[in-house]
Amino acid sequence: MVQERKFLKGPRLRNPADYDFPGLQRALKMEPEEVIQEISESKLLGRGGAGFPTGTKWDMAFKEEGEFKYIICNADEGEPGTFKDRYLLDERTLKVLEGMLIGAYVIDADYGYIYIRGEYFKSIKILQEALEEAREAGILGENILGSDFSFDIKLVRGAGCYVCGDETSLLNSLEGMRGQSRTKPPYPISKGLCGCPTLVNNVESLACVAEILHQGASEFATMGTEDSKGTKLVCLSGDVNYPGVYEVEFGSSTLQEIITDLGGGPRKSHDIKFVIPGGLSTRILTRDKLDYKYSYEGLEEAGSSLGSGGVMVVGSEQDLTAILTRIARFYMDESCGTCFPCREGNQQIYKIISRVGKGKFTVNQLEIIEDLGNAMAEAARCGLGQSAQYPTGTILAEFKEELVEGAVY
Amino acid sequence: MIELTIDNKKVAVEPNTTLLEAANEINVNIPTLCFADDLTVYGGCRLCVVEVEGENRLRPACNTRARQGMVVKTHSPRVREVRETLFELIIASHDISCELNCLTCSRKSSCQLKDVAEDIDVSRMRLEPGDEEEEYDRSSHSIVREPNKCITCARCIRKCEEIQGVGVFAKASRGPETRVTTFKDKGMGNVECTNCGQCVVSCPTGALHEVYHMEKVWDALYDEDKHVIVQTAPSVRVAIAEAFGEEPGTIATGQMVAALRRLGFDRVFDTNFTADLTIMEEGTEVVDRVVNNDRLPVLTSCSPGWIKFIEHFYPEHLENLSSAKSPQQMFGAVAKNYYAEKIGISPDDLVVVSIMPCTAKKFEARRPEMSDDVDYVLTTREAARMLKSVGVNACDLEPEDYDEMLGVSSGAGDIFGASGGVMEAAIRTAYNLITGEELEEIEITPVRGLQGLKTASIPVTEDLTLRVGIAHGLNNAKKMMEKIKAGEEFHFVEFMACPGGCISGGGQPINTELTWQEVRERRIASLYEIDENKEMRRSHLNPKIKKLYEEYLEEPGSAKAHKLLHTDYTVRGVPGA
Ligand SMILES: Cc1cc2nc3c(=O)[nH]c(=O)nc-3n(C[C@H](O)[C@H](O)[C@H](O)COP(=O)(O)O)c2cc1C
Ligand code: SF4
Ligand code: SF4
Ligand code: SF4
Ligand code: FES
Repeated sequence: MVQERKFLKGPRLRNPADYDFPGLQRALKMEPEEVIQEISESKLLGRGGAGFPTGTKWDMAFKEEGEFKYIICNADEGEPGTFKDRYLLDERTLKVLEGMLIGAYVIDADYGYIYIRGEYFKSIKILQEALEEAREAGILGENILGSDFSFDIKLVRGAGCYVCGDETSLLNSLEGMRGQSRTKPPYPISKGLCGCPTLVNNVESLACVAEILHQGASEFATMGTEDSKGTKLVCLSGDVNYPGVYEVEFGSSTLQEIITDLGGGPRKSHDIKFVIPGGLSTRILTRDKLDYKYSYEGLEEAGSSLGSGGVMVVGSEQDLTAILTRIARFYMDESCGTCFPCREGNQQIYKIISRVGKGKFTVNQLEIIEDLGNAMAEAARCGLGQSAQYPTGTILAEFKEELVEGAVY
Repeated sequence: MIELTIDNKKVAVEPNTTLLEAANEINVNIPTLCFADDLTVYGGCRLCVVEVEGENRLRPACNTRARQGMVVKTHSPRVREVRETLFELIIASHDISCELNCLTCSRKSSCQLKDVAEDIDVSRMRLEPGDEEEEYDRSSHSIVREPNKCITCARCIRKCEEIQGVGVFAKASRGPETRVTTFKDKGMGNVECTNCGQCVVSCPTGALHEVYHMEKVWDALYDEDKHVIVQTAPSVRVAIAEAFGEEPGTIATGQMVAALRRLGFDRVFDTNFTADLTIMEEGTEVVDRVVNNDRLPVLTSCSPGWIKFIEHFYPEHLENLSSAKSPQQMFGAVAKNYYAEKIGISPDDLVVVSIMPCTAKKFEARRPEMSDDVDYVLTTREAARMLKSVGVNACDLEPEDYDEMLGVSSGAGDIFGASGGVMEAAIRTAYNLITGEELEEIEITPVRGLQGLKTASIPVTEDLTLRVGIAHGLNNAKKMMEKIKAGEEFHFVEFMACPGGCISGGGQPINTELTWQEVRERRIASLYEIDENKEMRRSHLNPKIKKLYEEYLEEPGSAKAHKLLHTDYTVRGVPGA
């Protein structure tokens, strides 16, 4: 039986009066380089989906010079099937703030923003109160915890746009511009918010930082595998009996075990048809691919990726064409419309899929979708377009017999 | 230097060079659509993708910097496959399906989609084209937008914002609904658009084009009862040949005159003539205002794009503008009055057509202040189209001279088309007006060239050194106005809405091969060449101008001249600002 490994999870933590910010206390006594060193040693990888080493990112942000510097907590959580950041924001609120404060101290940020998904009404209220109380308690503002360090945070609501979770689009949105990605380079680290060096981290990454500083990098690094240290909040949803957020130590279990032991197995009579393992924008894994260890490298070996940690289980009775239509619709609507492969590609894929409706694809149509998907993956400007075809492309490839007219493969 | 390998060829480039530029150095052409050499990189079309060894995705050449040791392939199977699919997508988004679309398109001979199709050798089109019906924007006197042809490459947006400092366009909506539009969808005619047409010449497709006056001109030409005359702006003669396949800068003055006669105009006159007249009026005004220290600096008034710009954005400075009409409008006024009287016809039977490098002139001709002196305005492009349809090649004919009465001009008139030209022409005459002598150094090089802002001090007498400034492109105009607002002192400042001056106006032939910089340089060089080869290079020595004053206008700045040749301006501001 797989058990949860509670590193990030814990009792509700919202009121600064009940919490002494041990990670921050410790960080404030260290030199910024030492904190970076500790994060690097922990081998923490960014939990926003791209898995970039947090220590490296912080080091770069630390070395950047600018008139102003910013730190941003990416709480947009728009990836379908992902809801772990909401758990942290609601329940472990102060851990997230603590991670941000540590980051701000380390890179010497002048100001911080939490960019939160606009539909997270409850979390917004909780955060607003927490920020207010933190200011009153001297955790935000001038001379935090009696140190020389001063810093404040503003909460900004997104307006219902998936692409604004992408850090460059998020920056545009924060600046009051159209929510669309920016060309890279320059990267946000060197030219981010209003052209100033900006560190963007995911909610879970920041919560991890708070715990790493509290419990120590060595403690963190005892958990997980060589390439995937620590734990991961897994969002189980879809056709499972007990959907929810589970904290899993990397390498301790397989996807199958997570679904069976933590999720209570497929719901009702459903068999698993496939799993989308890392939020919608990842390749699907069919039933026979669920025995790889849950870790960055394990899922890669299985042919997909860990992504945001959103594990969506699709039961055998689900209608594939309906799923395909919804996925295609989502990416078509959410494309920011800047680059041609994504704007036009997603639209064309949707057109074809919705034309097929409940029927079958022709070999020709399949080939076109493949080509479009390939062009998007190869040439789109940001992650949205690059990965939009992963679920669609793999569903079509894996279930050809079911989906394609007269398919003899 | 950074060394890299492109298509198995080694190339060394400066740091910060993009792969697009690096490929260019070894004469490899990478297809582009959203890229434009004068604009910021957009990275939207992705046609420029190339394969970089060791990277898991293709990289856009326009936005990827060369790195030491990079190995780049610009047309590997992977690249060619993706490019072709991308092109299919672009074509599907661009309405080319409906009746005769490509054949009737404003860009039928300068379509960049067609160029790309050829460059990448497109062989398939498997996608259904878009079917959204979108309304044309016909709100402007100068420019029409056909959104169904727009591929949202944002070149117009960037051009208007970055080069012109106006920012008329923006993208709205997302996903498939993404479109380019104006503030609150009001349309180009109802916002701060200056009608300069720089967006038109930036557009790779036919989504933007001038408001056509061709039909109206055909009608007038075919109407037996009308006496139809035409004036040609300085910049047209060094550009119209491009529409017939010649190199930019080809001088085709006499051939064009001959061709226009073939087209059926009763008289072919020259806007250069009224450019000389402008110098007399404006020059006199400048001298007067400088001597009396009256509302300095004097700002030039011959670029209608600039006029609309200042009316919107610096209305508090309208009093600084010279009151002289532009050469086009002076021509219209002289034609409808002096000329009509001389040849004894009613102004109602006289149709005045102008051929201009400019889209803003269409708006200018419809300004209420201008009392319809100019009936129709054709861009250089429209004129070329009309000539083609009568089977005439404007480069092939035996050169002919302009008709005399309003067709004789000095070299000073020719250089009006280049940034700094109006200034140079004005100085040549102002010097004479002030000192009574002729300026020896007739070529005033400090005011020439393509730098965005130019300033110069021109010694005139012992007590007077003229401080002059020149700005071209409206973003530079903005910078110049800010200098003036900050207290920098000038006597006289020249403004042209279009970068480089009228030679790259919004109505000029669109060259899809050379960079704008190259095209500008060549056209400008030709204007100076024409000036250099003229005997008469000073406006005040033009005998026909002298005659006009003697017979009709009395003297520069007279009451009659004021009534016909001067105007006032409209405070427009920016609503809501
Ligand atoms: C379309 C798209 C959506 C994204 N949405 C989110 C999101 O909701 N939350 C998030 O943290 N990162 C999201 N990202 C990733 C961010 O761009 C960025 O990599 C991340 O915030 C960095 O934080 P990390 O290093 O802590 O993971 C998204 C990326 C793309 C391309
Ligand atoms: S991939 Fe899609 S979302 Fe990203 S820049 Fe291109 S159009 Fe916008
Ligand atoms: S109007 Fe032309 S330049 Fe503007 S976005 Fe559309 S295609 Fe590009
Ligand atoms: S005509 Fe000039 S001002 Fe108007 S939209 Fe085009 S570039 Fe901008
Ligand atoms: S030219 Fe490079 S993306 Fe368009």
